[in-house]
Formats: sequence, structure tokens, C-alpha cells
Amino acid sequence: MSPDPSARYRIAALVRHETILLARAPGPLIGYTVMPVLLMTVLRPMLERLAALGSTTGMGGTAQAAAGMAVMFSLFALKVVGAGFLQERTWHTWDRLRASPARASEILIGKAVPMLIVLLVHQAIIIGFAMAVFGLRPAATWWPLVLVAVAWTGCVLILGTAAATLVQSPAQLSVAGDIAAVLTSILGGALVPAELLPGWLRAVGPLSPGYWAMRSYRAALVDSGASSLIGALAGLGCFIVLGIVLSASFARRRPDA
Amino acid sequence: MLVAEGLEKRFGAVRALSGFSLTVRPGEVVGLVGENGAGKTTFARAVAGLITLDAGAVRVSGVDVTRAPRDARAALGWAPQELALYPTITARENLRAFGGLNGLSTRQSIQRTAELAAALELTNVLDRPVGKLSGGQQRRVQAATAMVHRPAVLLLDEPTVGADPITRQAVLSAVRSMADEGCAVVYTTHYLPELEVLGASIAVVKGGRVIARGSRTDLLASVPGRALLRYAGTPPPLEPHVSGARTIQIDGSDVTITATDPAACVATLLASHADDVNRLRAIELSPPTLDDLYRQLLQPAGHSDVA
Repeated sequence: MSPDPSARYRIAALVRHETILLARAPGPLIGYTVMPVLLMTVLRPMLERLAALGSTTGMGGTAQAAAGMAVMFSLFALKVVGAGFLQERTWHTWDRLRASPARASEILIGKAVPMLIVLLVHQAIIIGFAMAVFGLRPAATWWPLVLVAVAWTGCVLILGTAAATLVQSPAQLSVAGDIAAVLTSILGGALVPAELLPGWLRAVGPLSPGYWAMRSYRAALVDSGASSLIGALAGLGCFIVLGIVLSASFARRRPDA
Repeated sequence: MLVAEGLEKRFGAVRALSGFSLTVRPGEVVGLVGENGAGKTTFARAVAGLITLDAGAVRVSGVDVTRAPRDARAALGWAPQELALYPTITARENLRAFGGLNGLSTRQSIQRTAELAAALELTNVLDRPVGKLSGGQQRRVQAATAMVHRPAVLLLDEPTVGADPITRQAVLSAVRSMADEGCAVVYTTHYLPELEVLGASIAVVKGGRVIARGSRTDLLASVPGRALLRYAGTPPPLEPHVSGARTIQIDGSDVTITATDPAACVATLLASHADDVNRLRAIELSPPTLDDLYRQLLQPAGHSDVA
């Protein structure tokens, strides 16, 4: 089957449209970018001291603060992803998208691409701030760091989509998103270094995508071995697959999907 | 051209469409009327490809909605009953988004936006966020988004509900223009005078199917009009069966006659009571209206206006 040339125009129109929608409501994203920068600045000395005392055996204080805040606040930004889909329902525009010539895949790409870029920029600002101000550097080369940021952003995007198909209202999304973000951050060791968590929490840590995001960042920022990076990215990949399966499953159950 | 044949759709125990058939030719405006829950919106959603039919087929410009949904949708402009716009972006951006979604280039979108804005009296508000526009302006923007790509079939589901007269007139003019350009229009409404302005033929929907379909003249031919004769003092004694009259009611000095041709009926009555003509103070003729048709077709079974 030959590719449909008009699909490119439709996707371009959708990307442009979604970008405008995001630009018109930048508040949450600004908040989720400024807050981690502030928290990182405040928490870094404490985390450095803990690392110096040998209380943590993983990342140094700066790496822990930067990666932890990047992971935790991209989980909060997951709500922005979910809201992007949920708003289409509350505005009744979802049906109009579905009644257009665009394929479902085109609509998803059109909505996902601007969000992916925004979330990548969000990660880049947080990590970039730590590099510029606190001298954070990758363990070996830059590309693992870029790879981790892309993989984690993709995971957040997929999980946000799944959340949007599951919840029924913006209020539900807000509550569920906040709780999930904090819980995932705690389990992943993004808020507090994993070594300091109670044993039972550490045991269930791998069930959190945040855990694999932190391991990925650790591999990119501290460990230079490829195997640790591959293993951590594989963990993230599992959550991406799970998110896709859940999104498709939830969407099929919705009468308006 | 829009062709719907034998549409069936159930939602659990509710039979929303029950043998719904309708054909709309290019350049024709069909007013879809019926009570709430009659199946009008379900039909619109079936045409838009938003529901899976249990039986029957819809073809938009000759393309089967089920077999080639994207091609069918490309020929369709649909404005749902509820407001379905992006409130945080401007009217212009909404129009450009829906234009782009339907394959318009940037230049085409810009040109078409200007045309529609002029036609729908939106030029001055194009760069305001839709959420800050008045209800009437939002309704006009919504109608414009359905027309932006010059669809072959236009489906407007109560586009003027709650709208002010200016909005109503602007939307009706734009719809008429689309039809004049060859677009097949389905116009769902409860405001029957709008259909007269549009010169629309009429499809009356009840119980999930079209129960009457035809031009206004054809359909009104079977609907009785009214004549009121007001006398000074008591009306003359009338025969129980005046030729052509369906009912005759006397209330004080007033005689009300319902008849398919009330004028002819009055002429007959006056001729047979020539001595009382000098006591006649007023004659009011009310030819049948679409409202009368609507009431006659949609009244519950067993109830009749005709005594």
C-alpha cells in the first residue's frame, strides 16, 4: 500500500494545533520545571553530605538530585499529557477528530509529538541546570543520557495516555496523577535515595517505572558500563509496552473511544 | 449526495434507529425534525462514522461509511449538537485546525477562513479565544468549522439552538450558500420556520425512522389549516358537516373551522348563510404551517387534533 500523502499534511496540522494548545496553557509545565530546579538546589547539599557519609552507595548528591527531580517532576508532567487527551473529551472535540479523515494513528502522533518535545525540553532544562550550575557530567559520553531522556519521556507519554483513557474527569486525573507521581517517585528512589528507604519499599521498587528511570539515569551519569544501561532501559521498555497495552484496553472499553 | 438505507442501531434495550432511510441530493437542504430521542443525533453520528450500525448502510458521496470511513469523512462536514470547539485558542486557530485536519493547505485555510468569517459575521472576533466569545458567536464558529473544507455533505445538528436572531440569520444564509454551491445539507432543528427560510424539504423522524418525507408543499397538503369567523352576536346555526371542513367549533360568537383548504370552506359556508354575512365582523385565515405538520405527525398515537 502506498503511503497517503495527505496524511503528512494532516499530521503536520495536528502537530501545529497541539503545539498551539500547549502554548496557550503553559502554567503547569512552567511549574513542573521551576519547582524541580528550586528543590534540586535546596536538596543537593543534603544529598551530597549523605553520599559523603557513605549513607548512599549509588549516585553522588548532584546526580541524585538532578535525576531524582527530573524523574519526579516528569511524573507530575504526566498529568499534562493526560489532560491533553482528557480535554478533547470535555470539550467534545474528540468526536470531531474521530469524524475527520485522520486515522487514529495520525491523531495520536499529532498529539504525541509536541508533548514528546516539551517533555524532552523539560528533562533537558533540569539536567542542563545541574550541569551548568553544579557541574554534573555524564559518566562517559553524552548519548546514553540522551537515550535515557528519550526513553523515559516516551514512557511518561504512554503512561499519561493510559491514565487519560482510564479516568473520567480532570479532577480524577489531578488526584490520581499526584498520588501516582509521588508514589512512583518514592518507590523509584527519586525523592529519597533508594538505599534509605525501608526494606519492604525497596523490595517493591522495581514495580515502579520511576525505579527503572533512576537506574537508567544512574547508568548514564555514574556507571559507564553498557550492560547496566541496557538492563535499565529494558525495564523502562517493559513499562512502555504495558502502557500501550493498558491504553488500548481502556480505550476499547470506553463507549466514546 | 447522502444516502442512508435501512439503518438499525440498538443501545441495549433502546432501538435508536429502526429502518432509518434518507436520501439527500446535491444542492438539497433536508430539514430533519423530530422530538428529542427520535433518532436524529444517532443518525448524525452514524453518518459521521462514530457508531457501528447493526444493519443498513450510509454512503457519503457514493462512499460507504463502513467500508471506506476515511474517504467518506473527507467528504463530510459535521457540526454536532453540543459545542465542540477548542476554547483556549482563537476562532481563526480553530478554523485552521479543522481545515488542516481535512486536508486544506495553509493558504487555502486562510482564504476560506476569511470567506466564512465574512459570511458568518465573525471577522471582528477571529483573533479572540473561542472561550471568550458569546454563545451565538461560538455557534457560528462551530458552523464555520464544519463548512471550512467545502464538504460535499454538510450535517448540522441543531446549529442554532439557543442562538440569537443575528446568529440564526447568518448561519441560515451560510447554509443556503453551501447548498447553492452543490452541497447536500442535512439540517436538524426544532425551529421549523428556519426550514422555510432555507427552502428545505422535510424529513420527520419518529421512533428511529423517517415517517414523512417531502417538500413543504407536499407535506402541508395533508395538514388542516384554520379559519376563524367572528360574528356580532350568536353565529348562525351551522350544518354539522360543512363541505371540506374537518371540525367546526363554536365558542360564543366565534366559529373555528379546521380544513385542508380553510379559505374554500369559508366561501362555502358564507354562500350558504348569506343572510348572516352582514353580522360578520372578522375572518382570520390560518393556512397550515410546519408547526401544524409537526404536531400532527408527532402527536402520541390515539390523540388527534382533528375532532
